[in-house]
Amino acid sequence: MTQLALVIDLNVCVGCSACVTSCKEWNTSGPAGFMSDDNPYQAEPTGTFFNRVQTYEVGCFPNTETIHFPKSCLHCEDAPCVPVCPTGASYKREEDGIVLVDYDKCIGCKYCSWACPYGAREFDEHQKVMKKCTLCVDRIYDESLPESERKPACVLSCPTSARLFGDVEDPESEVSVAIREEGGYPLMPEWGTKPSNHYLPRRKQHLHIHEDELIRADNPLKKEERQPSGPVDAPTLDDSTSW
Amino acid sequence: MKKIHLQEIDGNSTGYLGLLAFLGAFVLAALGSTYYMEHNGHWVTGMNNQIVWGMPHVFAVFLIVAASGALNVASIASVFNKKIYKPLAPLSTLLALALLLGGLMVLVLDLGRPDRLVVAMTYYNFKSIFAWNIILYNGFFLIVGIYAWTNLDRTMKKYSRYAGFVAFIWRLALTTGTGSIFGFLVARSGYDMALMAPMFIIMSFSFGLAIYLLVLMAAYNWTGRPLGDVIIMRLRKLLGVFVAAVLYFVIVYHLTNLYATEHHGYEAFILLGANGGGTYSSIFWVGQILIGSLLPLAMIYAPGVANDRKTLAAACVLIIIGGLAQMYTIIIGGQAYPMEMFPGMEVLESTFADGQVAQYSASLPEIMLGLGGMAVAMIAVAIGIKVLGFLPQSLDDAIADPHHKAE
Repeated sequence: MTQLALVIDLNVCVGCSACVTSCKEWNTSGPAGFMSDDNPYQAEPTGTFFNRVQTYEVGCFPNTETIHFPKSCLHCEDAPCVPVCPTGASYKREEDGIVLVDYDKCIGCKYCSWACPYGAREFDEHQKVMKKCTLCVDRIYDESLPESERKPACVLSCPTSARLFGDVEDPESEVSVAIREEGGYPLMPEWGTKPSNHYLPRRKQHLHIHEDELIRADNPLKKEERQPSGPVDAPTLDDSTSW
Repeated sequence: MKKIHLQEIDGNSTGYLGLLAFLGAFVLAALGSTYYMEHNGHWVTGMNNQIVWGMPHVFAVFLIVAASGALNVASIASVFNKKIYKPLAPLSTLLALALLLGGLMVLVLDLGRPDRLVVAMTYYNFKSIFAWNIILYNGFFLIVGIYAWTNLDRTMKKYSRYAGFVAFIWRLALTTGTGSIFGFLVARSGYDMALMAPMFIIMSFSFGLAIYLLVLMAAYNWTGRPLGDVIIMRLRKLLGVFVAAVLYFVIVYHLTNLYATEHHGYEAFILLGANGGGTYSSIFWVGQILIGSLLPLAMIYAPGVANDRKTLAAACVLIIIGGLAQMYTIIIGGQAYPMEMFPGMEVLESTFADGQVAQYSASLPEIMLGLGGMAVAMIAVAIGIKVLGFLPQSLDDAIADPHHKAE
């Protein structure tokens, strides 16, 4: 079984929204488009996005940190949006596990939007059908593209490589290794929907430098018994003393 | 009990034509609203990606629920063989069909793609409760249509009981399906409860009978046909029982939610107006409980309250207003309360509304579409009683009451 999915590293996501714009750019001109964008520069912009980056400040001041949280359809293994669709327009592909909407069968009843616990569904105001992330299904199998580019637009555009793409059912895939070794977790597993997209947690980097690491033990000046250029705590060009 | 004569109304009076024109204006406004909303996209309404079902669905679900309740009077006659209700059965079937027609009109016109109705009718995902509802609505038209035929055509009279029984089972299934649209929703805190199905059934009894009583009294009053007190007083007492039963289910629903800690946030939102739920708690307490339940109960049962038809009609109007308030609380309130996206965390501010109370205020086109559905139902009744004999010539006590004793 194959289950394509994204793994998003919250530790390195800088919230630049390159994934949002590249997603919209690719998909608005493809079979999933167009994607509405009304009043984009006014007080109440509306539009369809398959992927949105939410930014949260977590914690209480002064112990706060900013987390950028990109969210799109999680392509659940047991997707609650699929069984509720009256016409079967919402479906999950057997071959790669991508959850898609058949725009020709969607009647726009929006019941799938009620059923998705992640709020990933977006109603297109102009085409009047329900839309969501397709994992760039029109791109990842396109053999006219170089193999390195057969990835979702958001993955290719991410400047910090915070987005990984692959088969989460293959234990040796890049995404599976990342989930296994970096503590990847699904969003709200308690729903039992088995979301395929995973998130890698924030990992705090603490740099521990011992004091003696700052003093060069093999300082050649010592051998030559020359006097130090200044006191130990005086600033130097390379942050290490000359002692 | 004397023989009952069913007869069409004349329907030539200025009053009748005026009524049609008045209701027609609402239908035109509804069609104009639909054009406006379809042409511009649903962003011109109050709806957004959080509140995907707005005011039209409040009206649509109310009318669909009331439709199956309006059939109740006929069911009492056929299934439970109560003779006094038999002359009331034809109007009951007509009203049921008319209300469903109005409700479905609103529902379909509020779909993203009403033009794809044929897709909805030809592709069924049998795992979807929504698809089952489409089957139940279509079946209701067919079964209640046949049932109405057995009531009107003397040659078919012998099948009336069987048709009535099937219609009774079907209407219970239909309202179970409508309630389960919400009961089967696991993603949102206000739903996901088996109680939704029976609660919707009892709501249908109450709303349907309130509308039935208003239509019955209006039809007899405006056509000058006699309508005895025995029938009205019986239906009045029945209505009181139904209103009390709805209140009971609402109490059980909230008590069940209050028992589970995970639903405390939702209950505080609806009952106390916490976290920006002030509108919904006002609509719940004032609209649903006070106007829709307590006042009508007092008007029906309280000693010293005038036991007349005007008070009863006023109680019916309050029940309808309360029913719409109840639908608003269930449908809009349940969507406005945020989904638990980050368990254990309190979301104070969000860039795209995740974890936040959704904002919604119904726009005028949405309200007009809903009222248009009600108008369509009433036009269907008005035309129905003109072209076919749904109404007995007289429902005077001497004719309608099988136990009537001449004084």
